[in-house]
Formats: sequence, structure tokens, C-alpha cells
Amino acid sequence: MKPSLFLFLTVAITMLWTGCKPSEEPTHQPTPYQMPSPLFFPTVTNIPSDNPMTEEGVALGKLLFFDSLLLSTEIKSLRDTPHSSLLSTETKSLRDTPNSSLLSTEIKSLRDTPNSSLSCSSCHHPEHSFEYGPEASPDFLGTHHAMLPLINLAWNTNGFGWNGSVATLEDMVYAAYTDPTEINADTAEVVKRLQQSDTYPTLFEKAFNTKTITFILVEKAIAQYVRSLVFCNSKFDRYLRGETQLSQDELNGYMLFITEEGADCFHCHGGGSNALFTTNLFYNNGLDSEFQDPNDRFAITHDPADRGAYKAPALRNIALTAPYMHDGRFNTLEEVIDFYSDSVQYSEQVSPLMHHVMQGGVQLTEQEKQQLKAFLNTLTDTP
Amino acid sequence: MKQTLWMMILCLAFFSACHKADDTGVVNLGIDYYINEDPLVFNTLRYQNEAGNRLMITEIQWFVSRVMLQDKNGEWIPFGAGDNLYYFDTDLPETHHIQSQELPVGHYQAIRFTFGLDEEDNITGRFPNPPESNMFWPVPLGGGYHYMKMNGRWLNEKQELAPFNLHLGTGQNADHTVFYPNHFSVTLPLDLHLEANRKNHLQLTMIIDNWFRTPHTYDLNHFGGAIMQNQEAQQILKENGHDVFSICTQNTRWSDIADPVKAIMGKAAPKPHFYTKENMKELLSHITPKNSH
Repeated sequence: MKPSLFLFLTVAITMLWTGCKPSEEPTHQPTPYQMPSPLFFPTVTNIPSDNPMTEEGVALGKLLFFDSLLLSTEIKSLRDTPHSSLLSTETKSLRDTPNSSLLSTEIKSLRDTPNSSLSCSSCHHPEHSFEYGPEASPDFLGTHHAMLPLINLAWNTNGFGWNGSVATLEDMVYAAYTDPTEINADTAEVVKRLQQSDTYPTLFEKAFNTKTITFILVEKAIAQYVRSLVFCNSKFDRYLRGETQLSQDELNGYMLFITEEGADCFHCHGGGSNALFTTNLFYNNGLDSEFQDPNDRFAITHDPADRGAYKAPALRNIALTAPYMHDGRFNTLEEVIDFYSDSVQYSEQVSPLMHHVMQGGVQLTEQEKQQLKAFLNTLTDTP
Repeated sequence: MKQTLWMMILCLAFFSACHKADDTGVVNLGIDYYINEDPLVFNTLRYQNEAGNRLMITEIQWFVSRVMLQDKNGEWIPFGAGDNLYYFDTDLPETHHIQSQELPVGHYQAIRFTFGLDEEDNITGRFPNPPESNMFWPVPLGGGYHYMKMNGRWLNEKQELAPFNLHLGTGQNADHTVFYPNHFSVTLPLDLHLEANRKNHLQLTMIIDNWFRTPHTYDLNHFGGAIMQNQEAQQILKENGHDVFSICTQNTRWSDIADPVKAIMGKAAPKPHFYTKENMKELLSHITPKNSH
């Protein structure tokens, strides 16, 4: 066969095949979501390549995060709200009732009822930096550890949870839905309810180009929404941007926070040119001298030096996220500051960065404690 | 015939484009740590410094910058393209080696680098991402980044195992109005024959003992666990740093030698005999490499 004839036939067949092939163009092209780039935040985000953020994905994730569609019929009627699409409103009103322990009982009973799925916002309240609120000790919620805030997690590249055992936010959504101490849902039932709804298949199509809902897509959508929860407009951020001034007490508190001879918070909690206010690393901060928790960092690494070590939580919105520490043992910021000042426990596992441990802590005066608290309050952001 | 000729020309062009030039090569620079004449083992209280402090090391994180190699003509050539500065972290294996840019083949007679970051490189906010961002040095204390964090514990005068943080960076006076850069430059003789198409290896060794001696004996009982705001301690460590580093080429890499001290001396070396730029030449002449290439 002559080369020219061969070339002609090849081109012709290719054109014919391409022309006959059904179009694989998506019916809807999601709009890429623009993440902000706050001052002194990392430029590298932890967004999986198989779950790029889109406007439609984030919006769907937000709906799933809050929507009571995933609630059982029983709890809907129990709460007796005409518009139950935003669960956080319901839970807030329940918390505002004098008998506030009602909610906890309710959540616990829901967890014990098969397929009576709760939504994320049952416990993750925006007004508390997406934690539950001051009542939420592990004993109260029946969870392994106290909650961590769900903010600025798009920049966390070092595992999720107090011991870093969860690799991705998508995995964290799955864990939260299936953990008997959290939502305790049957994922197949969740998918079934979503698929049967009038609106969700269309929303999934807009976000993921398919009306066929899977739990993997639920995970992806909620993870996208959580990654979009960026908090970068506290008083301290405005100070860094030159838009406002801190009071003298707040400035003194910042000096204590950022100096080794002061309170020396920055080695583990960042600050300044690490505006996440965490290193996302794991430390034994001297809470105890003996370690019984089967879910500490040691459980992940099996390195004896990691006994009693936990992730340094981000201190943004710290005033809103009581109770404090992995076990929620402190109810107020004053208690936390008192601990770091005077009650740090020595052990062979205590982080070397706790170099004041031999004196029991950083030894702050009452005035310095007040100033440190004043600075920590400048990290509060509005949802 | 014409077609065959064209095909040959195309193939020739293709292979020429893919073929690496023979006049350049790359160097892999590995980092390791020695203390008390042995490779460093972390989290074990088996070491002693010049002042007699018994100590253990838990982690070392540090910056090296402006790495240059001197060729046989005396010209200094940047090791890396771009910023030419590097972060090493004993907790992160991916930082235990760095690779040079393509360098001209030939003989290199010296290596020079800055321990830490000089004023031009030490810019607050230049590393937005971890792990480097976790090295930031607070602006009120001079800003920029820690040059080094060496964390560990020592048995103090009360026989308590107390934490120490040997954190080096910009020093400051008491009211934080005057700042003292504490970086320093290191130049070491080298005997590197850089070849194309082979692994050229340099091994940079931090001899931890030397932070604590020569010319000053550094006593942890005197300076305590934290020195970021102690310029006297920073200055002493800066001056002790002159002989902390040694370098060898692949054939004399310490980790390639089963028992380096015995290989050199025939017996355990008396303290403080160690591998410094002063005794390097003599040491090299004694070594029979385990893996010669």
C-alpha cells in the first residue's frame, strides 16, 4: 500500500470514528472554587486531585452538612419545626432552652437508633468555630476525645484528629458518619434517602456530573465545604494587615505568646509568620505524667516518645472552643493559662519544647495571665 | 531512499535531544550526624559533652544557604540553582539529601556554605509552608527563621532529665532594639572529581560534640534549656561552630566504613580527636574505602 493512501485511510477512519462516537462532554461544567490566600497562611493546600473544589460542590456540601433530610422522621417530629432544612437553627434553639442537656440525650438516643442519621451540624456549630460548645466534653458527647474546630483545614497537611489518625477530610466524613460514638449512620441508608429526594440528584449532577449518588460523593461534597471554612479576619489579622491597632494589654500578651522567656506558645502554636496558629505537629505538653489513653499519637506511630502526645490545635477562635485539651479537662481559658504557668507535669515523654517543665511551667504573673488571655481573644473571628 | 534518509535524520535529532551532555554532572549531598565518635542515635542518654553534661538529642532542624563549590581554577560555582538554600530535618527523611544543579565535570577543591541564613536570605515570611514555616523566628526577637533547632535533654545538676532547646538565630539585646546576626560561613577542603553519568556523592557531617567545645566549653547547666533571648550563648555557639562540619566524597563516606575510627587510627581515637578540616587530609590518606568506584 502506498504511504499516501495509508495516511488518507487512517485520517478518514479516525474522523469517522470520532464523528460517530457519542459525546462525552459533561452536561454541566462545575465552576472552580477560588480559595482565598490570607496573609501568612501557607500557599500549599491539602486538596486531593480527585476532589477539586467547585462552587457547586461546596454549596452541595454545605447543604449536606446542615440539612435535616438525613435525620430520621422521629427526630423531625420531635423537634416540631416547620422549616427543618437548617439543623443548626434547631439545635441552637434547643440549646437555648433551660434544660440544655436535652440535646445531648437526644443525640445519644439518635445514635442508638439504627438509621436515624444525624447531620454534621448536630454537633458542629458555626458559632463555636464548628465545635459543639462549652458543654462538649468527651463524657458529655460520648466521644473518644473533645472536638476540634473545623476551620482552616484546607491547609492541614499532617493528618486529622487529635492523634492524626485520619488521612483526609473525606475519610473524616466517613469516620464521623459511621463511628458509633458520632453519627452512627448506615451509609447505604443515607445514600438511599438522598437519591429519593426531589432535589439532591440534580445538585449532585451539577457538582459531580452524575445523578447517581454514592457515599463517596457525599464525602467529597462535605469535605469541599469544610475546606471552604476559612477564618482569617480576626482582630489580630487586621492588626497584621495594618488595619487596626492592638491594645497595650493585647500587645503585651502577644509578646508573651511569641517569646521563649515569656509564655513560649509559638513553638507549637505558630503565630506571626505562621498565621494558622498551629504547626499541625504532635506534642506531649505535660498534661499528665502517666499515660492511659489508647488513642494518643503513640497509637499511630508506636514510638514510645509519642505517648501522651496530641496535635497542637489551632488557636484561632480559641475563646469559642471550650472545653480545652484532648479530653476537655479545662473549661476556661484561665484554667488553660494557669496550667501552662504552674502545673505542667514532668515525664520522660514531655516535649523538649516544654523547657520550663522543671519549674512546673512558664511562671506567669496574674497580670501576664490577663494579658495573654487578652491576646488570645484577638484571635476570635466571626463565622 | 529519500524517505530512509529523512527517517535517519529524524532519529538522529531525537536521540541527540535525549542524550545527556557529557560535560556536566550532578552531586548528591547527604547529611549525617556524629557525636562521641559514633553516628547519632536519637532519644538515648548515652552521650557526654566537653563540660561533662550527659545528654540526649531528640531532633535537629536547620538551614544551610549559599552552598558553593570551588573548581580547580578557584572559581566558586553555586551548588543549586535558584535560592540555593536548604532545610534539613532529622524527622523528615526526604530532607536528608539534596542534589546539585548540573555542574561542569572536573575537580572541585572546596565547599563553602552559610550555616543558617544571612541578612539577605533571612526574610520574615519567605517560607509560607511547613516544615520551613515552623522555623520562624519571632519578629520582636529579630524576625526571619531559626538557623537551627537542636532539641534534647540533659541530666542537670539536680540529676533531673531536663529539656534543652539549642535554638540559634538572630540575637538581640535586652530591650530588643539591637539585633545580632549569628550565622557564619564554613569553608572545607574537598577532593571531588565530578564525572558525568555517575553518582557523585558528598557527605556533610555535623559533629555535635563541637558545638559544645573549641574555643568555648558550653555548659548546659550554666546556660539552661532556652537561649533564644541569650546572645552570650548564641555568640559562643556561633564561635564554636567553625569546626562543627566535615565533608567527604563518596569513596570516603563515613557510613560506608564499618568502623571509621578503627579504620583511621587502628584503635579508638582519644577525645577530642575528630574529623575536622584541619586533620581531614591526614585522615583521608589513611582510609581504605569499603565501596570504591
